[in-house]
Order: sequence, then C-alpha cells, then structure tokens
Amino acid sequence: MTTKQLAKQKQTNNWFACLVVSLCISSDKLVFCPMLCVCVCSRRVAMATRMKLKLKTVFVLYFMVSLMGLIYALMQLGQRCDCAEHDMPKDRTISRLRGELHRLQEQMRKAEPTKLPHKLAVKPAQPTIYIITPTYTRFVQKAELTRLAQTFLHVPQLHWILVEDSPHKTPLVSGFLASSGLAYTHLHTPTPRDRKLQEGDPSWLKPRGAEQRNEGLRWLREDRRGQPGADTQLGVVYFADDDNTYSLQLFEEMRGTQRVSVWPVGLVGGMRYERPVVEGGKVVRFHTGWRPSRPFPLDMAGFAVSLKLVIANQDACFDGDAPMGFLESSFLQGLVTMDELEPKAENCTKVLVWHTRTEKPKMKREEALQKQGLGSDTAVEV
Amino acid sequence: MPKRRDILAIVLIVLPWTLLITVWHQSAITPLLAARKCKDDRHESRRDSRNTFTLKEPCTSENNKDIVEVVRTEYVYSRQPPWSDVLATLHVITPTYSRPVQKAELTRLANTFLHVPNLHWILVEDSQRQTLLVTRLLQETGLNYTHLNVETPRNYKLRGDMRDPRIPRGTMQRNLALRWLRETFSPNNSNSQPGIVYFADDDNTYSLDLFEEMRSTRKVSVWPVAFVGGLRYESPKVNTLGKVYGWKTVFDPNRPFAIDMAGFAVNLRLILFKPQAYFKLRGVKGGYQESSLLRELVTLSDLEPKAANCTKVLVWHTRTEKPVLVNEGKKGFTDSNVEI
Repeated sequence: MTTKQLAKQKQTNNWFACLVVSLCISSDKLVFCPMLCVCVCSRRVAMATRMKLKLKTVFVLYFMVSLMGLIYALMQLGQRCDCAEHDMPKDRTISRLRGELHRLQEQMRKAEPTKLPHKLAVKPAQPTIYIITPTYTRFVQKAELTRLAQTFLHVPQLHWILVEDSPHKTPLVSGFLASSGLAYTHLHTPTPRDRKLQEGDPSWLKPRGAEQRNEGLRWLREDRRGQPGADTQLGVVYFADDDNTYSLQLFEEMRGTQRVSVWPVGLVGGMRYERPVVEGGKVVRFHTGWRPSRPFPLDMAGFAVSLKLVIANQDACFDGDAPMGFLESSFLQGLVTMDELEPKAENCTKVLVWHTRTEKPKMKREEALQKQGLGSDTAVEV
Repeated sequence: MPKRRDILAIVLIVLPWTLLITVWHQSAITPLLAARKCKDDRHESRRDSRNTFTLKEPCTSENNKDIVEVVRTEYVYSRQPPWSDVLATLHVITPTYSRPVQKAELTRLANTFLHVPNLHWILVEDSQRQTLLVTRLLQETGLNYTHLNVETPRNYKLRGDMRDPRIPRGTMQRNLALRWLRETFSPNNSNSQPGIVYFADDDNTYSLDLFEEMRSTRKVSVWPVAFVGGLRYESPKVNTLGKVYGWKTVFDPNRPFAIDMAGFAVNLRLILFKPQAYFKLRGVKGGYQESSLLRELVTLSDLEPKAANCTKVLVWHTRTEKPVLVNEGKKGFTDSNVEI
C-alpha cells in the first residue's frame, strides 16, 4: 500500500473511532443499536472492498439512519413514558394522591347532589350574619384574628366587617383577610385621642371600639341603601370582639333574630356568666352582679340585632362618651324595649359565648434587646 | 478539497448527535415537569374543592374607594374533612385541667381542629375522673378523639410562683398520652400508619398552615413560636444548608433544645422505636422540659426546619387571662348547674 492509501486508511479508522465514541456518549439504545450495526458493517465492508466503497456513501448512510432515529425520538417526545425503571417512589405517591383526590371529589359530589338548587332554595330563608369586629394593632392581634377566622369559617352565610382602629389599613390585616377565605369588608377609622386608652390605663377606664362599631354600622346602612329590595334587608348584625370565644351553635341561634335577641355570656361582669332572666318566654330582668340598674346590663357579645332594625333606625349608634358599661345600652335604648327582647340559648340557660381576654405577652427581653439594637427581625410578621 | 470534506464530515457527524442529546435531555425532564404542573393544578383544585370558593371581582363601594368588599359564594363545611388514606395522621396531645375558661379554650381549639384533615385529638385531663364537660364537648364536636385522664399528685402541682421546681404542668398527662400511643400502635406496621405527634396546649393559637407543615416530618421538625421567652418570637437558627445549628433565644440558649412545646413535632415511628423516651418528671429546670424528651429522641443535626426555613410564625403562645370572678362572692351568685 502506498503511503497515501495508508494515510487514507488511518483517516477512515479515525472517523470510525469517532463514530463509535459518539455512539457511546448517546445513552439511548434505540439509535445506538442500528448505528452500531451500520458502523461495524460499513467498516467491515470498507476494509473488505479496500476502500471501494466511498467514504461519502458511508456518511450518507450514517446520516440517513441517524436522521430517522432522531425523527423517531422526536415522535416519542409527546408520548407518555411507560418504562418501568423511571417509576420513582415520588411519582407513585403522586399518582396515588391523584387517585385519592378523584375519589374524594366524587364522594363530595355524591354527598351533595342538589347543591345548586339547594342553595337557591335556602338563600331567602337563611339570613346573613354580619359580624362587626373592631380591632387594633397589638402583639396578639394576628393570633386573635386567626383563631376568630377559624371559627367563622365554619359558619355559613357570614359576612365579616373588620374595622381597624387606625388612620389607614395595615398590611397585616389586609394580608390576613385576603388569605382567610371569608367574605369580608375591611374598614378603618381611628379613635380620637381623648377617647383612646393610654399606656398603663386599666382596660375598663374608657369604652373601646365605639367609633369602629359605628363605622361598621354606617357602611352596612350605606351598602344596603344601594341595594333596595326586601331580600337584602334580611340579616342579623352581631358585634364580636376579637378576643372572645364563640361556639358554632351561637350563630345558628342568632340567625332567627326578628328584632333583638339576647343570651347569656360567660366569664363577664366578674361572674361565671351573666344572663337575662326569662319568665314565660320573655325577658323580665337581668342576672348580673355589676350595676344591674343599667337599662341593658348586657355585654356586647350578648345580643344581636336584626338588619332590618338597624336600617330602620338610621341614627342608632354607640355613644363613645357613655360611662363605663353603658355602651351597649346607648345603642339598644333607641331600638327596643326589654319585653321585645327575644331570648335564645334555650331560654337563656346555656352559655354559648365566653368573654375571654388574652394576656399581654411579656416583652421585657424583647424590649431590652431592641434597646441594644438586637431586636428580633421585624420583617417576620407575628 | 479534503479539508472541506473533512469539515463537512465533522459537521454531519456532530450535528445530529448534539441535537439528539439535547432533545433527549429535555424530554427526560418534561414528563416530570408535566407531572409537577399537574400536581400543582391538582393541589389548587384540591384546596378549591375543599373550600369551593368562587371569588367575585373585588368591587369597590361608590363612596369610599379604599373599602374592599369580597364576596365568596361557598363556605367550608363545619364537620371534619373526610379521612384520607394518604395523609399522615396528626396525633395532637393536649393536656387540660378544670378552670373557668376550660370550656371556652377547648371550644375554640376544636373549631380550629375541625379544619384539619386526618387529625386525632388526644385530650388528657388532669383529674381523677373524666369530667362530663369534656366528655360532652368531645362528643359534640365530632372530631376523632381519645379521652384520657391522669391526676397530677397534689404535692407536685405547680404553685403560683416558680421558685420551687415542681413538675411542670401537663407533664404527667403528656406522658400518659405517649404511653397510650405506644400501647395502641406497634412499631412493626408503622409504615402503614404514618403518624406525627404534636403537643398542643389548650390556650395557644395555631394557624392551619402549621398542621400541613408538620405532616411531612421524618424525625423531628421545628419552627418558630411567638410570644415565648419574653420575645416576639423564638426560633431555631438555620444555616444556608437548611440545618439547625442553634437557637435564637435570650432565655438560656444553651439548652440542648431551646424550644417551646408548641415548636416541634415528632414522627410517630420515632416515638415507637424509642419506648423509653418520656418527659422527665422531677428535677427539671424551667425551660428544660422539652429537652428532656427530645434529648432521647434526636440530635440537633437531625432536626428538620419548617415554616420556610424557620422564617414564618405559624403558632402563637397566647395565654388567656384568668377571669376575675369577684362578684361571685362566697356562695356563688350564679347557678352552678349552668356549665361555662
């Protein structure tokens, strides 16, 4: 053989070596096998025929085969992968979860077959409960609102009117309400400074939340004014403070309020509970240990007013200047008389709401740290 | 001429292979991507199907532009979500004792738990006999529960001041619950009954996200707790690798586990495999109770940080004020038959 031919043979060998190497890189068996065969055969053929077979034809052959393999691979792209070796435990869990989810969804659909017509039928009969809650910024605010929302989420046809004691809406409350999953209205109104409790004042010194509750009433009245119709006046208004505890039964009891309904409240007035005394289905007096001579010695959480009454009496609101304990009376006095009150909770013998109060968390260490400039990260919302 | 042919040859060889390799690389990922996307969609629809909300456009009132009113047309049902065979069961251990606010605390705790699927509430009373109040409450809520009771011996009960280190409140009750779990569940078939154990006090506040975070606990998971240790919140220190290496607290950060009872959850398997691990009854310094249990279960490096690497607060250590019942007087002004 001449050197030229030797050189050419070396070149060919090199090319084949490259081909084989590139084949090894590809991990796909599909294209690997035919390519390997083509390579081997063509090499043998080339050797046998002493380069009679042109390199060009080898390349053309190789090119066509690899192109076909590529097209086949592209076709396989959109298809579902049915190879068992890729089945990882995560995928298995995912498919199991999906199956579970479908089953649960089917179960739910079966459990409520007449949901839509049921809703339409129930709508006029089930009045909406409008809950007016005043709130103010403090450490435990988010915690209180969280557990309050968790209770409200169980109550159907509920609309939460949250009024902040603040000149503008705080991002904490806005964000919280958006993620709560409830139907809500977010309002705000600041308490004038002379009516506001100062640091160190005992909690009973000044009535709290009057302006906020009035703001809630104002919004409610305006909202209803824009929607005339008998249906829209169907509802019950309840003033729920953010630190009390409410049982779910309470909301069902108050839903049927025609004018003003009342019930016992636990842990209030320095007693285990305060309650209206009912005789012959009517409230005759109030069983309370603190200032029973008030026109309505009730707690804010102890009564609910029908929406119709609230709208009919446009001027009825809470008097922020009323002496301690007379806040409720200042509102109810213009609305109803004692014998018109509707007793609930089994003739006012069951306690369904508790006037709990949350301790102020001790922040001595936090304050000490903040003085040193090492306070906890304020970006973390608490 | 040969050079050009060589170049052409190189190109002809390399081009289809690179194409093939890149395409196959992508295609190996896309099935997984499709599965994850579907999972996300399913996750959204799953949440939606639980809550079934249809959000209307947030309409603004004509008068006040910054009032936002949002109307939803459905609501979450008021019974416990259906039991799922796939989710791990959360065994929530709550010690409780009789006091005026007990029923209120348990009521709002139950209202929270009713939202959590696969929750098993183990309520342990600090009393000689199971009280009617708690029994009735548990039955009415409809939760999946276990009602236990054990009385802390009188001379060990926690006095008002903390000067004498007695048994911290609730220890015997939590230990009883742990013992009940070990008697009820055997460590052999722990894979078929995955469970997480969480100690929830009856006066704390829990967000619903917390329960979903703890469901994926493999050994012991930890997260920040608000209003403990005299701080806004205490949290574990997490390094960039996602491992816990310390405790961000002021009160004795050198404790082996400077964390509150509400700040960790343990996988049931771990409880069953270490049957000797209990809360230490006697001789426990203030703040060391959690360490007395966790020390026997896990080491610091095994802790799993949750709540976005311990940057979100999902549980608040709230405390309820003791109501001042001055007007009850000696004989009791109100009818004692009425349960509060």
